[in-house]
Amino acid sequence: MGPMGVKWTIRVSSSLDEVMASLAGERETYALQDLKNGHYQFAKSSTWQPGFHTLGDYRQTEPLKALFFPAREFIGKWKDPSSRKPMPERIVFGVKNCDLSSLAIFDQVFLQGVCPDPYYAEARAKTILVSSDCNSQLDVCFCPAVGEQPYATKGFDINVASTPLGYIIESGTEPGERLLQSAQQYLEPAHEELLNSLKTQRAERYRELVELSQAHGLEPGTDFRTAIETTFESGLWSDFAEDCVECGACNFICCTCHCFLLADGMDADGTAARTKLWDACLYSGFAATAGGGNPRPLRAERLRNRFDKKFSYFPQVMDRYACDGCGRCTEACIANIDIRDVLRRAVDECDALHAHSSDHRAN
Amino acid sequence: MSATLYMPIPAIIERIEDETPDIKTFTIRPVEPIPFAAGQFVELAVPGIGEAPFTPSSSPKISEYMEITIMRTGRVTDWLHTMKEGDEVGVRGPMGRAYPIEEFHDREILIVGGGCGVGPLRSLMLALLEDLQHYARIIVRYGARTPDSIVFKDAQMHGWGQGDALDVMLTVDEAAPGWNGHVGLITEILEEDYLDCHASDGIAVMCGPPVMMKFGTDKLLERGYHPKNIYLSMERNMSCGIGQCGHCRLGRYYICKDGPVFSYQEVQANPRLWDD
Ligand SMILES: Cc1cc2nc3c(=O)[nH]c(=O)nc-3n(C[C@H](O)[C@H](O)[C@H](O)COP(=O)(O)OP(=O)(O)OC[C@H]3O[C@@H](n4cnc5c(N)ncnc54)[C@H](O)[C@@H]3O)c2cc1C
Ligand code: SF4
Ligand code: SF4
Ligand code: FES
Repeated sequence: MGPMGVKWTIRVSSSLDEVMASLAGERETYALQDLKNGHYQFAKSSTWQPGFHTLGDYRQTEPLKALFFPAREFIGKWKDPSSRKPMPERIVFGVKNCDLSSLAIFDQVFLQGVCPDPYYAEARAKTILVSSDCNSQLDVCFCPAVGEQPYATKGFDINVASTPLGYIIESGTEPGERLLQSAQQYLEPAHEELLNSLKTQRAERYRELVELSQAHGLEPGTDFRTAIETTFESGLWSDFAEDCVECGACNFICCTCHCFLLADGMDADGTAARTKLWDACLYSGFAATAGGGNPRPLRAERLRNRFDKKFSYFPQVMDRYACDGCGRCTEACIANIDIRDVLRRAVDECDALHAHSSDHRAN
Repeated sequence: MSATLYMPIPAIIERIEDETPDIKTFTIRPVEPIPFAAGQFVELAVPGIGEAPFTPSSSPKISEYMEITIMRTGRVTDWLHTMKEGDEVGVRGPMGRAYPIEEFHDREILIVGGGCGVGPLRSLMLALLEDLQHYARIIVRYGARTPDSIVFKDAQMHGWGQGDALDVMLTVDEAAPGWNGHVGLITEILEEDYLDCHASDGIAVMCGPPVMMKFGTDKLLERGYHPKNIYLSMERNMSCGIGQCGHCRLGRYYICKDGPVFSYQEVQANPRLWDD
C-alpha cells in the first residue's frame, strides 16, 4: 500500500458498508442515523450497522464535542481513584468539517493549558475520526463566513467523500493510514476523473454555502472580531436579548462552547463524588461571585459575553474564531435569535461607524 | 498536579482560629506538601458539598501545612465555618501566577489591603519579612469596616510595624469604643499626609474588594505610581482553577491561570475591570 496522501476508491466488487464495517472492527462505533425528518443523530453500536448507520449529508444535531467532553462526566469518588473507568477504543463515522474543526478549540483548552486533562487526552487518543464531505446543508449553515468549508482538509484520521462517480477515501494520520491498509482488499487507487469530479463538487458545494451565507448578509473573510469589539457598548445586545429566556441551549448545543462546572455531591451509595457538567454563560449565576456580586448581571451582557468569547477572546489567544458556522445555536434558540443576524448587525453598525468616522476625517 | 487535575488531595484541618465574627483562619495539613508562592491560590473542597478558591495566608516557605483565612459568605464558606479541628477537606493547587517577588528587590513596597483581602497580603508579608534586607522599605496600609472586622489583629505582635524598615497604618470606616487609630476610608491613608512614599519607582500591591481596589488604584496613580508597578489580586467566579472551565474570564485573560495577580498595566484597558 502506498504512502499517506494516496487517495482510494472502493472496488466495484465491494460496498461502503463493507469498508466501514472493516474500519470499525470491534471498536465502539458512533455513526449518523438518518431520523428521516431532515436531521441526523449519533447512533452508538458495537460496530458499523449496514442499513442503520450512514455518513450523512450534513452534520448531526448534537455536537461532536459530546463524545470528548461529555455533558455529564463522572470524575470520581472522594479518595477512590479506581472509581473512574477507562474508555474503550472508539471510531466515529460521518464527522462534518464544522465539528471536526471545533476539536481544535478543545485541544487547546484541554491539552495545551497549564494542566492537560488526561480524560480528554484518553478520549482523543482512543478515538478514530472518520470525516465525510457535506453533500448538502441545513438552512442554518454558514461555515464559509467564518473561514471554514463543507469538507475536511485536516484533523481527520480518514476522510470519505462521496461523488456520483464513486467514493474517495484518504487517510490524514498514521492510525488512519494503518486502518486503511487493513481494509485494502476493498480499495483501489482513485483515478484522475474521480478526483477531478470531487474538486468540481467541492467548489460547487462551497459556492452554494457562500450564497447561503450571503443571503443572510455574511461574507467570507469578514472581520467579525473588529465588529464585535466595536459594538461592545451597542444597543444591539439588549435588542437581541429581549426575547432570550436564558435556557442555555445555544451554549450547550454549540460545537465549540467548552465551559463547565465541577459539581460536588453524594453518589448513590452515599460517598462524596465529583462530576464535570457543561455550564452556560447565558445563565445568570455563571459568573456570579460571593456576596451577591455579578460582573454580568444583565441578560444582554451575558448574550454579549458569548459573542465576545467566540469572536474576540479566541482570536486573541488562538488566532481563530470559536465558531465554525454549524448554525446549531440558531436552530436551538427558542427566542429565534439567529447568530447570523447578530453578526450582521454588528458588522453593519461597525461599518456605519467607520464610514461615519472617515466622512468626518474627509470634512 | 495531573493526578489531581479535577480531584483534590485530602487534607486535615489542624487548627481553626477566629479572626472576626465572620472570618476564621484554618490551618490545613494536606497528605502531601503543597509548595506555593505568595499570591497563588488553591481550591479548597468540602467533600460532597463544593469547592471554592482561596489564597493561603501563611508563609510560602512552609509547604507541609497552610493557613487559609476564610470569610463566611455563602454555601461552601458557611459549611467550612461549621467544620471542626480534625475534619477532612480537599485541596487542589497551587494555582495561578504569584507576585513577581524578585522584581521587588531593593525597592520600596507598599501593601494596600482591605477587608479579608489581607489573606494573600499576609502571605506576601511573611515572605518579605524573611528577607527584609532585600527590600528598601515596606509600607502597609490596611482598611477595615470596623475595629472588629480587622483581620490578623495580632499582626503587630508578629513584628509587622517594628523599626524603620516597616511602616504600618490601619484605618476603620467606623470607629468603636477603644479604637484610637485612624477613622476613614483606605484612600484617605494613601494621601500625602499619611503616606510618605517613593511613588515613581515604588511597587504597590493591592488586594481587597473591587470598590476598594478601584479607588485605591486611582489614588495610587494620582500619587505617581506607574501602572506596571501596581499589582492587583483579581477575583472572579471560578470552578476549575486551571484555565479550562471559562468561569473566570476577564477580557483576554483567565484570572485563574493568567492571574490572579496582574499589574494594573495588563488589565487597565478592560472596560469591565472593576465589575464584581
Ligand atoms: C483567586 C481567589 C482567591 C480568593 N481568596 C480568598 C480568601 O483568601 N479568603 C476568602 O475568604 N475568600 C477568598 N476568595 C473568595 C472566595 O472564593 C469566595 O468567597 C467563595 O467562592 C464563596 O463561596 P461560597 O460557596 O461560600 O459562596 P456562594 O455565594 O454560595 O457562592 C459563590 C459562587 O460560587 C457559585 N456556587 C455556589 N454554589 C455552587 C455549587 N454548588 N457549585 C458550583 N458553584 C457554586 C455561585 O454561583 C457563586 O457565584 C477568593 C476568590 C478568588 C477567585
Ligand atoms: S456548517 Fe458547513 S460543514 Fe457544517 S454541516 Fe453545514 S455545510 Fe457541513
Ligand atoms: S438559546 Fe436563545 S433563548 Fe436560550 S439562552 Fe441562548 S439566546 Fe437565550
Ligand atoms: S476557573 Fe476555570 S477557567 Fe479559570
